[in-house]
Amino acid sequence: MNYNRADLLDRLASEYVLGTLHGAARRRFEKVLIESAAARAAVHGWERRFSSLAASVPPVEPPLRVWTATEARIASAASVAVGRGSHRSWWSSFWKPALGFAFGAALTIALVQLMPGAFVSLDELAQREQALPQSYVGLLLDREGLPTLLISSTRHGTRVTVKSLRPVTVPAGKVAQIWALPKDGAAFPIGVAVPAKPPGSTSFEMSATSEKLLSNVTRLAVSFENGPARAGATPSEIALIGPCVKLW
Amino acid sequence: MTDSAELQKDLARVALGDRAAFARVYQATSAHLFGVALRILSRRDVAEDVLQEAFVSVWHHAGSYQAASGQPMTWMISIVRNKALDVVRSASVRHETAMPMTADGAEIEVQDERPSPLQLLTQATEAMAIRGCMEALDASHRQCLALAYYQGMSHSEVAAHMRAPLGSVKAWVRRGLERLKKCMENSQ
Repeated sequence: MNYNRADLLDRLASEYVLGTLHGAARRRFEKVLIESAAARAAVHGWERRFSSLAASVPPVEPPLRVWTATEARIASAASVAVGRGSHRSWWSSFWKPALGFAFGAALTIALVQLMPGAFVSLDELAQREQALPQSYVGLLLDREGLPTLLISSTRHGTRVTVKSLRPVTVPAGKVAQIWALPKDGAAFPIGVAVPAKPPGSTSFEMSATSEKLLSNVTRLAVSFENGPARAGATPSEIALIGPCVKLW
Repeated sequence: MTDSAELQKDLARVALGDRAAFARVYQATSAHLFGVALRILSRRDVAEDVLQEAFVSVWHHAGSYQAASGQPMTWMISIVRNKALDVVRSASVRHETAMPMTADGAEIEVQDERPSPLQLLTQATEAMAIRGCMEALDASHRQCLALAYYQGMSHSEVAAHMRAPLGSVKAWVRRGLERLKKCMENSQ
């Protein structure tokens, strides 16, 4: 279909807003909306035209539980969205010890490298250096603060390994979506994993190298979503979260 | 109806993560939006879920709402309608309740105390600039638009409801929309 024709675009926009454009056609048009400013303008026009019709629908007070549930969801999202201000949430109490753990690990590695003799033999060091290439490593904790997933990727690689330390139960019909949370800016999705039974591992490919995607990322998180998140999406409820550090 | 300027200010605050502003937005708009969702979904529990999803979406996307793209209420109504339409199209939510069938598959007429779509349309258009344009439409065009807009009916559902051929309904919807637009452009 040629979406550039203004009259066709307007017709699709009108039926989209009315609701009679459905199924695959609706999905296709939603994709067009992301890319085409003309399509968005056409939709806004029809939304304006129809909005006065919605005004006549009698208001119905929703039960309090809707607000309670909504507020609980935004409370957990608020603390994840970087720069949104709120920092008090269920996970803040456990990511600090996790960060401590990561710093501790990094410090140990640094000390081992500075004073290898004090810790290990040179042979062992050589082995360790082979075992620990330049990597990005994230340690994700559950709500109780227990280390649950170890996520790692070499600096210039695109393959991400997800090692299970504790079992992760993905709710039926959902996927475990992995998010990167940059120092400043919004969380972005990096991939979907099917967590293995501990102590097993699974892996997925990212769209670019770790260096490109993760160099400004300070935390990783997992949420359960209905399907793989698209670029620009935001996580729903965070299930696991923890620091992401450079290992070099 | 909510004070649009206030709502706009509060949405700008929501974009910055202001939860008190979000509570005010909910307070001001939830009853109206729940009404819109209920018209389409009939089932209260499903409408409640849709309302919750819609407000979570408002929280996340308040930053992308642009005052230039329309009234804040128009934006929020679109979010609720799109989510409700997604649900209604992906499941037989409506058929479970609003369109019970007899054993031979015929629709049972449900006694519905809510205003009919046509009554709503009349109420809506009475005070609005589009009154003349809606009235100028053929009755069948008007009814198609009302059923689709207020109850989220698909072409085939509208056809079943009006006992009219699907092809005619599609044509009525299209012509109804075209005429509505033309008329509203001329009256501006």
